Amino acid sequence: MKLHILNRSPASSQVPAQALSAMGPEDRLLLIEDGVQGALPALIHHYAAIPGRLYALREDLVARGLIGRCDGTVQVVDVDGFVTLTEEAEQTLSWY
Amino acid sequence: MHDVTAPTAGDLLVILRHSPHGSSWLREGLDAALVGAAFGQRVHLLFMGEGVTALVEGQQAGALGQKGTAPTLEMLEMYDIETLWVEAQALARFGLSPADLMLDPVPLSADALARAVATHPLVLTF
Amino acid sequence: MRYGILLLGAPYSDQASHSALRFARALLARGHRLEAVFFYHDGVYNAARLAAPPQDEPHLVDGWATLHAEHGVALQVCIAAALRRGLLDEREAARHGKAGHSVEAPFELTGVGQLIDLGQRCDRLVTFGP
Repeated sequence: MKLHILNRSPASSQVPAQALSAMGPEDRLLLIEDGVQGALPALIHHYAAIPGRLYALREDLVARGLIGRCDGTVQVVDVDGFVTLTEEAEQTLSWY
Repeated sequence: MHDVTAPTAGDLLVILRHSPHGSSWLREGLDAALVGAAFGQRVHLLFMGEGVTALVEGQQAGALGQKGTAPTLEMLEMYDIETLWVEAQALARFGLSPADLMLDPVPLSADALARAVATHPLVLTF
Repeated sequence: MRYGILLLGAPYSDQASHSALRFARALLARGHRLEAVFFYHDGVYNAARLAAPPQDEPHLVDGWATLHAEHGVALQVCIAAALRRGLLDEREAARHGKAGHSVEAPFELTGVGQLIDLGQRCDRLVTFGP
């Protein structure tokens, strides 16, 4: 299982689609930086193919005023949770 | 167009997602691949998204003499980097066919692409 | 675990440097070892010793130097990417006949081979792109 780290928004970029196409059936996706926009209910459909494997970084949601606006299916983690996700994955890939 | 159902495992997969000339991403990604190969790693390259345009035949130097990346691609074989994959979906998006490309890369379907990523312990995306 | 970080974004242009520094501090706080940060592409600007951000903004160059001082994290800057962008240490400045230098210890100019080595040596290599 690999952890994919994504910092681009599906509202404006093809990069989220690239990340999804490279993901294996157990892989997880962590949204950071502008990538956290993808956690909004209006954009969450982009990640319908990976139920239960979508995470978003709390600090980046808070900084953008989006923490209370996340879709309920997104698992919000702080930076310690980010480290834990990298511990649990065998390796990480970044999409930017 | 042929496909690979079980992509070969390697040590390092370098994913190249940018076109030549427009930025230094392609050159710097290729440099990492060449150095990895020089260090004895089994290196595989995957051209994804805009990266498929790096393989278009007939590239030239830029207007100020910028070399571009085609000369580097020609050297891959010397470094024993022989496995070149291209994202089939991206080829289609650009209206390109394998016949338009240099170095005879192998198109990968979406499923094969995910398996190629899974079989490499280290993946660098550029 | 042994970690490496690959940083590809320029400081103050993209969030990548802030994200990488934050992640570095968090993994060290959890008892992991951070072997090195490798600066590549525009990430090499993190080594600019003359960076002078306003006082009310985080000082990234100092942030990296502190990681080196407190945790022995190597700060490796790709020499090919750096020279092109005007980032030279004293030795390279002399070699190229330049009057001043823009990179100093604890940052070290090194080859891409160090990145490959880092990838082999570490349990995890985490990339932060622009």
